[in-house]
Amino acid sequence: MHHVVLDRWSRGESALHRRDARAKTIVVLIFLIALATAQRAFLPLSLCYLGILAATIVAAGLPLGAALKRAAVVLPFTAVFVAISLAAGEPMRAAALVGKSYLSALAVLVLVSTTPLPELLRGLERMGVPRYLLMVAQFLYRYLFVISEEAQHMRAALQTKSGTLRRALWDRGKFAAAGGALGVLFARSYAHAEGIHQAMLARGFRGHFLTLSGRSFGRADVFFVAAALVIVAGARAAVEAWI
Amino acid sequence: MHIPDGYLATPVWATLDVAAAPAVGYLARRAQKGLEQSSVPLLGVMGAFVFAAQMINFPVAAGTSSHLVGAALLAYALGPAAAGVVLTAILAVQALVFQDGGILALGANVINMAIAGMLAGYLPYWLLGAGRWRRQAIFLGGFLSLLTSGVLAMGELILSGVPMPGVVIRFSLGVFLVSAVLEGAITLAIMQALTAIHPELLRQPQSDGRRALGWIGVGAIILAVAGVAMASAYPDGIERLADATGIASHATTLLRTPLADYQLGTLGSAWLRKAGAGLAGISLIYGALLVGGKWLARKRGA
Repeated sequence: MHHVVLDRWSRGESALHRRDARAKTIVVLIFLIALATAQRAFLPLSLCYLGILAATIVAAGLPLGAALKRAAVVLPFTAVFVAISLAAGEPMRAAALVGKSYLSALAVLVLVSTTPLPELLRGLERMGVPRYLLMVAQFLYRYLFVISEEAQHMRAALQTKSGTLRRALWDRGKFAAAGGALGVLFARSYAHAEGIHQAMLARGFRGHFLTLSGRSFGRADVFFVAAALVIVAGARAAVEAWI
Repeated sequence: MHIPDGYLATPVWATLDVAAAPAVGYLARRAQKGLEQSSVPLLGVMGAFVFAAQMINFPVAAGTSSHLVGAALLAYALGPAAAGVVLTAILAVQALVFQDGGILALGANVINMAIAGMLAGYLPYWLLGAGRWRRQAIFLGGFLSLLTSGVLAMGELILSGVPMPGVVIRFSLGVFLVSAVLEGAITLAIMQALTAIHPELLRQPQSDGRRALGWIGVGAIILAVAGVAMASAYPDGIERLADATGIASHATTLLRTPLADYQLGTLGSAWLRKAGAGLAGISLIYGALLVGGKWLARKRGA
């Protein structure tokens, strides 16, 4: 599954994996903003940025081909708008849509595949994102697999009980059955949440998570942000001056 | 409907990010205050439920199927503030882990779905959910939440200058309408199942003395959605109106001066001016609402 692979990637041991989550978040934001505001000489710039991201992926010890393929999930959505842009006679805009959406997704992918999610959320908390929201996000991520598995069981049960022959037009009974299945799933999720909370209280939960790896924003992180800023902004300035 | 990065013009995503940040902060504070201490696992697991619920297909017609989006359902089950927090967390996880929706565009997606869509879904339930019209209110909530999110997303794309010929806009509106009816029906089916098996899990809506305000809200949502839909499907009419009243010329002269040296290259001027004019319009409306709201509040306080 997608996220399991990301989890494994994020626990590597490269220099990029060791940087503080805040430093990596700042760098990705710089990259995204530089990319989003670019207008002139977009084609050479996007090739240049693709090269930078590819080099980063290789340096982090991640499989380049798999990462490039994974970021392509944005492309089906983009294809529709590319077709519209081409039909409207704006090939440059079509190219910009593909380039910007793909490179943005790839940059975010590099961030989450070099930073374990708990560490990333902890970094965001230190950057001022409300802790309550981040704790909800962390629980959501953790229980995604549990509840999804239950949903898969229910789907299988639903299919065995109602058969697979579809009625031609409208089947009220099946619709209601799917509603019932989700109602049961909802109630079970609710019960899960209560059990989880009691277990947490029993283990001494005091209102926020503790993480084991206490990484701090060191000199290497300052250097990393500065270097990334120079590379990202410099590449854009150089390409725009050269064209 | 998750807008990826690279689609929205800089003024559009930046404004929406700036608008979404305090709104989410407020929702988080309110949800934390409104629920008991056990709420963090509950909200997280409910978010996971919405993810997982998308695996159960609802048969529609001739072999096609649809699935739950869930903004209205969460608002009914958890209350609007907590639902907003859960939906924001879902959008954040989707953007980070699944590359579904952008990071810079997160503010836009949060406003479209977690705030505006969720509130549009909650209002009918808040007004009518306790009485005779409960079923209709539940359906209408699901319907309005999806339609509002879809139309807002489309409006933002148009404002950003993504080319959308009239045919495409009318087609998308048709798709939104069909999915909105389905979301209403799915939400209703789940709510009926829940009412039958675990009625205590649902919060009964308590609409006290502020019903009039709620109705104004529903009216405003319907008017705004219809207005945006009309404006994007038939932009010429609006432009003619603007020309006739002279708003357009004022707006462009007002905007051109500070943005003058920003109009670079091939993709620049036209769409940037359009986006700027749209933003000026939005901020004017926002300002008017703010002043109106303050005045109302003072009148009530007196």
